[in-house]
Amino acid sequence: MKKNLLLSKLNSSKKSVLILLLAICTCYSSFAQTRQITGTVTSSNDGNPVPGASVKIKGTSNGIVTDVNGAFKLSVAPGATLVISFIGYDTEEVPVGSRNVYTVRLSPNTNTLAEVAVVSIGYGTTKKKDLTGAVSSVTAATIAKNPVTTVDQALQGRAAGVQVTNNDASPGGNVSVVIRGIGSLASNGNGPLYVIDGYPLDNGGINNINPNDIASIDVLKDASATAIYGIRAANGVVIITTKKGKKGGAQVSLDASVGFQSKPKEYSVLNAQQFATLYTTIAADPKQSVALPAFAPYSDPSSLHNIDWQNEVYRTGITQNYSLAIRGGGDKVQAATSIGYYDQKGIVLGSYFKRVTFGNNTDYQPTNWLKSSTSVKYTYQDSQNLFGSNLQSGGGLVQLTELPPTLDGGNKATYLPYDGNGNYGFYNPKFTEISSYTNPLYSIGNNRSYGLSNFILANTSLEATIIDGLKVKSNVGINLSDYSGSYYSPEDDRENNQYPGSQVTNAFYSQHINQTFNWLWENTISYDKTFGKSTINLLGGASEQKTFWSGMGGQGIPPNGVIRDLAQVSNLKLDTNIPAGSNSGNGSNVKALQSYFGRATYNYDDKYLITGTIRRDGSSDFAPGHQFGTFPSGAVAWRAKEESFLKNVDWLSELKFRGSYGLVGNQGAIYPFQYEELFSTGYAASVNGGGVDNLGYPFNKLYQNGYATTQPENDNLRWETDYTTNIGADMAFLHGDLTLTVDWFNRRSKDFLLNIAFPAQTGFLDETRNIGSIDNKGLEFAVNYNHKVNSDFSYGATITLTTVDNKLTSLTSGTNYIQNFGGLTVPADGWGTFSETYIGQPVGEFYGYKSLGIIQSQAQLDALNASAVAKHGAGSVYQKTTTQPGDRYFADTNGDGIVDANDQVSLGSPLPKFYGGFDLTASYKNFDFNMYFYGVYGNKIFNFQESVLESLQNRSFVGVENVGTEYYNNYWTPSRPSNVYARASANDDVEGNNVASSAYIENGSFLKLKTFTVGYSLPSELLKNLAISKVRLYFTTQNLFTITGYKGLDPEVGMQGGNATQNGIDTGTYPSSRFYTVGVNVTF
Amino acid sequence: MKKKYILLIVLFAMLAIVPMACKKNFLTQTNTFSSTEAATFNKPQDVIAVVNSIYDTYQNSDFLKKSMWYYANFLAHDWYNNGNDIVWNNYTIPSTFGALSTFWNDSYVGISRANYALPIIADAKAKGIITSDLADRLTGEALFLRGMTYYYLTGTFGGVPLELKTGGDGLTPRSTQAQCFAQIISDMKQAETLLLSKTTLAAGDLGRATKGAAYAYEGSAQMWLGNYTAALAAFNNPELTNNYHLIPQFINVHEFNNQNNDESLFEVQFDLPAGGTQDWAGSWQPPGGELGWIDSFGWPSEITGQGYDYGSPALEYSYQTGDLRKYATILGPGDSIISPGIIAQWGGIKGYPYVTGGYASYLAAPTTDVTDKNRYTDGHGNIINTNGTATYPWYGTDGTPRSGYTDAKKWRDPNLTGGSGPQKLFGSQNQILMRYAEVLLSRAECKIRTGDVAGGLADLNLVRTRAFGGTPPAVWQDGQQVDGSQAPALTDPMQKVLSEYRHELTAEYSLMYLLRRAGTDATTGKPYDEEFIHNVNHVAGAGPDNNTSPIIYPYGPTSDGKTHGVTYNDLPAGRDILPIPQAAIGLNPNLKQNPGY
Repeated sequence: MKKNLLLSKLNSSKKSVLILLLAICTCYSSFAQTRQITGTVTSSNDGNPVPGASVKIKGTSNGIVTDVNGAFKLSVAPGATLVISFIGYDTEEVPVGSRNVYTVRLSPNTNTLAEVAVVSIGYGTTKKKDLTGAVSSVTAATIAKNPVTTVDQALQGRAAGVQVTNNDASPGGNVSVVIRGIGSLASNGNGPLYVIDGYPLDNGGINNINPNDIASIDVLKDASATAIYGIRAANGVVIITTKKGKKGGAQVSLDASVGFQSKPKEYSVLNAQQFATLYTTIAADPKQSVALPAFAPYSDPSSLHNIDWQNEVYRTGITQNYSLAIRGGGDKVQAATSIGYYDQKGIVLGSYFKRVTFGNNTDYQPTNWLKSSTSVKYTYQDSQNLFGSNLQSGGGLVQLTELPPTLDGGNKATYLPYDGNGNYGFYNPKFTEISSYTNPLYSIGNNRSYGLSNFILANTSLEATIIDGLKVKSNVGINLSDYSGSYYSPEDDRENNQYPGSQVTNAFYSQHINQTFNWLWENTISYDKTFGKSTINLLGGASEQKTFWSGMGGQGIPPNGVIRDLAQVSNLKLDTNIPAGSNSGNGSNVKALQSYFGRATYNYDDKYLITGTIRRDGSSDFAPGHQFGTFPSGAVAWRAKEESFLKNVDWLSELKFRGSYGLVGNQGAIYPFQYEELFSTGYAASVNGGGVDNLGYPFNKLYQNGYATTQPENDNLRWETDYTTNIGADMAFLHGDLTLTVDWFNRRSKDFLLNIAFPAQTGFLDETRNIGSIDNKGLEFAVNYNHKVNSDFSYGATITLTTVDNKLTSLTSGTNYIQNFGGLTVPADGWGTFSETYIGQPVGEFYGYKSLGIIQSQAQLDALNASAVAKHGAGSVYQKTTTQPGDRYFADTNGDGIVDANDQVSLGSPLPKFYGGFDLTASYKNFDFNMYFYGVYGNKIFNFQESVLESLQNRSFVGVENVGTEYYNNYWTPSRPSNVYARASANDDVEGNNVASSAYIENGSFLKLKTFTVGYSLPSELLKNLAISKVRLYFTTQNLFTITGYKGLDPEVGMQGGNATQNGIDTGTYPSSRFYTVGVNVTF
Repeated sequence: MKKKYILLIVLFAMLAIVPMACKKNFLTQTNTFSSTEAATFNKPQDVIAVVNSIYDTYQNSDFLKKSMWYYANFLAHDWYNNGNDIVWNNYTIPSTFGALSTFWNDSYVGISRANYALPIIADAKAKGIITSDLADRLTGEALFLRGMTYYYLTGTFGGVPLELKTGGDGLTPRSTQAQCFAQIISDMKQAETLLLSKTTLAAGDLGRATKGAAYAYEGSAQMWLGNYTAALAAFNNPELTNNYHLIPQFINVHEFNNQNNDESLFEVQFDLPAGGTQDWAGSWQPPGGELGWIDSFGWPSEITGQGYDYGSPALEYSYQTGDLRKYATILGPGDSIISPGIIAQWGGIKGYPYVTGGYASYLAAPTTDVTDKNRYTDGHGNIINTNGTATYPWYGTDGTPRSGYTDAKKWRDPNLTGGSGPQKLFGSQNQILMRYAEVLLSRAECKIRTGDVAGGLADLNLVRTRAFGGTPPAVWQDGQQVDGSQAPALTDPMQKVLSEYRHELTAEYSLMYLLRRAGTDATTGKPYDEEFIHNVNHVAGAGPDNNTSPIIYPYGPTSDGKTHGVTYNDLPAGRDILPIPQAAIGLNPNLKQNPGY
């Protein structure tokens, strides 16, 4: 595939390059004097050609400019010296010798780059040096270093203040991005606003953007920078600019890579012999409060066939990634077209992710005062993950360590998970201890699902320059996305065929479609003018954006295994819209935003800068009369370096101080109509319309409808307002080789919105309200150092570091804490609460019992019980009536003599003290190297998976499950005491050893080598004849190693469901593993 | 240049359009998912529907079974749990027990639905949408249901917060138990004047609250406050005494084909409509569909694969000889099912799929298939038709402890098979919360409390006469005690009342509530409930007091020297009520936990 593409492109490209060269020759033939040389100018940074570089003959005015491929052709006299220069690079001098072909490598000059770098700030751009707000920028070259699937992954560790966590490693990614701390507890309340080529993505979908198409990412962090986006700005704004065509010919680039993903690390669990031995040991243990029944196959462990479930389900993954782009243009039209294909076969059987992207950017300037810009992007995605990636999506991988390691005694036809002849093993349905387990290979092999989505983002703008500096622009766009998915599982009567009376699982079929249509219309007017030493920039605008969402779907029992038509299923049950108004289920809704905004900047003598920004947003999500909010901000900056007393200080290349304050809003956590008192009815039971919604009642077996209030009135519902202060400094030393940016921020998120459990006494179990306030304070550092040792060798390093001090400061609910809530239900007794956020403490703090080890002796237990009796009377016990030596010893933290729910305490925070990235680059001749580390420090992980490995009971259910080898070899017995591992129990729900406790709290700090890349660019002399300007081959490994003390598989544990109260709990998610990728970048 | 100016004008016009397009209604959307009050209640059916939703509260299984039924029966120790809820077997119910939260939350949701309904009904009446008569009836139903919900909440937890209006912040602290019952009496008294009499209730409205039901709950609430005279007045109201009757045969009280019968004062309605499926979501999840799952889960696992409840042998022994309620209530080893509905459908126990299947397996391998032989034959090679046999009691199929005794009151729905065969787990058997026999027994207690012992015993005898199929024995005496010895004759009239509460109402939704309602025994100074539980479950020498582990049963077919899950422990102080759910305390810090939890 790759090879064919390359060859087919070659011919046409060759032609265009030849034509181009001919043209250049014609133009400059009059300068021909003695000898003609040719050459290429490339960047030492990434080996890419540098178009537009000036190539002059020293001491003359003769020279030319390199073409789009960085090539030049020049006639020179013997002994001449070439002077090659380009903005942002150090100037090179090359003496002309006897050779006719020259390759000139320019080294980037950080200082000058900073001077001229342009930053997108929303509705416009500014030079980096003129910035007053806190903005981090990531360039295409940086993104290209790390072969990521999605744009958000590319941000990890690259921008200070931006915390990116891969929540799990499933294909397609599940990434959370949090800028400057958690300001809201709502699942959809912390994501930044993404703006793609001027279009604010109101409905997500950032993973539809091909990272290869991105020219730059600018992350707006403080209120001064973000206020221009008003009510959507509180979590920061990520402005993404895609690559455009440049004047001067065409450049064709092809990027192709193939990666292999190794099987992940596995938990060490018992084999069949060990498991059966443990089972029979516990069945014979008189100390058990619940006896295990005998199971004949387990009585002879040596006869059992072993199954390593992790090995059965994991495989080597393969990732293919191809991008082809043509970018270029003439004076009036510049265009960029790109096609991308990404295909990942996941490491879990049955999982994959495929993405096709194509897009076109066209700029057209018919006259010098009129300009249009059009951007169209299309993405198709297809993904499947039959087994689910984590607990929330249906059990998933945690099961692999729970499944008993043998299927013996089940399917009489085979003891194998799959025998290759259509027979899948199953657990004995009559033996209740294991009857609830399903062979995952059967599910993966027989269930079918698909989830397809289409995404179109198109916008076009027309800009007219009326008089010099005065511009009027109108921008119109649409964003259309749709999703279509279905799931089918066949009837399963295999067990019933062999064991009559066993459960028969009905066939099941479901299908869902939905569509989101969003349009945008924005008009702006701007005026830029310089008067003497003063420069002003004024911007004013109005915007409307509206979203129409509609969805439909249902589920039922198909008549057979062939039909995939909802109309033919029996007991059709339509999707339920939960919560009402959300973009889920069956129905439609509309959201609208109406806005006015303005920005004024004043620059005096390049020393003193002032910016004022204001946006007024009206949102349909709030009650009429309460819809508009105003978000102002202001900032000042002082470029001290420009002052006379520093101007000539050589060691200091830049010194700038910035300060800002402003208000920004956040409405991400609510759905339409949550302010209204609403009534809802249910469906008659006869259509099985979802018992959940049934509010009626069958009087004398005749159903009558019911109506009930489902939501109380709350006109006072408001957006969250963030009050953000930022003080920062930008410095550069060593002639720009070393730069340092420091920011201190204080972000106070007031009135964050949350749908939260409310006292049932109100009549409502949950309600969306303005719940409270959260503070985030922190420091951000970004250090960059680049040094060119000589023309062959240069190196550089970048460090970003962020500290965030997060705490909940107030609650309006009358309580002083918020429990974990949301989708994550941990299936084990005593895990209903695993986090509680108290006022004054970080959000999502873990919560549970404090473990003091293991009770070692009856005497110790008797003493504890005696103190309970002393305080609470006869019959009282310290922990449980079932407690025995060998059980976990929990602390009586409130000193009342017994351990109960009141003794649970905070067990640490999932939020790191700091996090950051460390990037090392070097180039030597044609080789380039990159090492990129990402790390977090000072956070805790709640290792639920470890509690699973320590429990023989399938907790909350009847039955047993596999345990970890470490536990098996060390669990407490009278003759083998342990202070770490409790005695083995067949009913942990009763014994209670594995409830949420400090025994599973671990240090979550880690340092991960995310990528290590070696690249080699073929010598340009070699490529010359092929009309190729660059070929770079590279090899990358990802996740090569992780330095951590964490016992689980991967310490990068994110927020489940984007919910800050479900942060850092390891429930055995889709593990990350090593990638080995080889790739090629070709530029014609 | 001309072109340029034209374009300029166009561009400026576009800019101007935005404010024009920004009409006020740009941000005003129409809700397509739910409706507002103004849009909803424009027809009588809609106003009726808002009251129907209050009834819907009770259809939840965690609510009815795992909270009310568990409390009424597991605490009295006639019944035990096998499964995940065994903490109920020894009074160690944690405040985090999930079903308690459901009970608490759904009770208040139901109360709130009543509080919302009251002004909606008044408003609809004022607007002429409903007639004054209908408004009265609906108001009465809302007040009745609110009062009844507080009745069970207060009975279970002691005093609870009283929420009587909408729009609260949910932070109301608990009222005292007495304040709660005073409020219940107030609601019931109003309901008595507003509700329909049973005689005027349309057949299609069977299951709605009636005047009679309001009098019954008012009377009981008065008893909780010790107002026995007022209670007596309520129980003697003709709405009760004229319109409700003991049906002739005790076995028929709970028969599937006899739902909403003449004795029933209030029963929670369930339905399995034609074509409806066995849908876990329909019943399991709050606020519940129309299916009930309460019944088959308690049948022997030899029949259903489940077997999550089992009875105490002491209950079966304690029935006096000749008491026809015994096998209508509990089946021990060797006992045949006597439900006419079950016999008609299945021929008795022998017709259930596991029994026929197991017996067929035995016939196929009569010498080697010992399990099926012991489990599914009568010991003589015939198919079993009893609840296990004395030689091989049905202790369950999974090795976890069960006593071998089964609840026969809840084994009535002939459509159910539990986890076996066609997997009919969910049925439509209504659940009777209040029936006339309880009113008569309560009235007896009132009479005795107010000095009319003869009248009280006469009321008891109304119930006993049916129980014995004619004139009851002259000697008031339970059957055998747990060690097989004959129970002594009862002399104290209150002990006679408590014995009748037990033998008439166990395995329903009343027993523990009535025991606790009785308060303190003046002669011993101990709570009646504590005393009663001790007396009926414990005999000196049969095991230590306060034992929390299963002990070896001393008498009967299951006294084989092994433990079968029955304990004798006494009711610890303060454990006669349940803990306020931890989650509720978490959300309302003003709630104080019951002492002892």
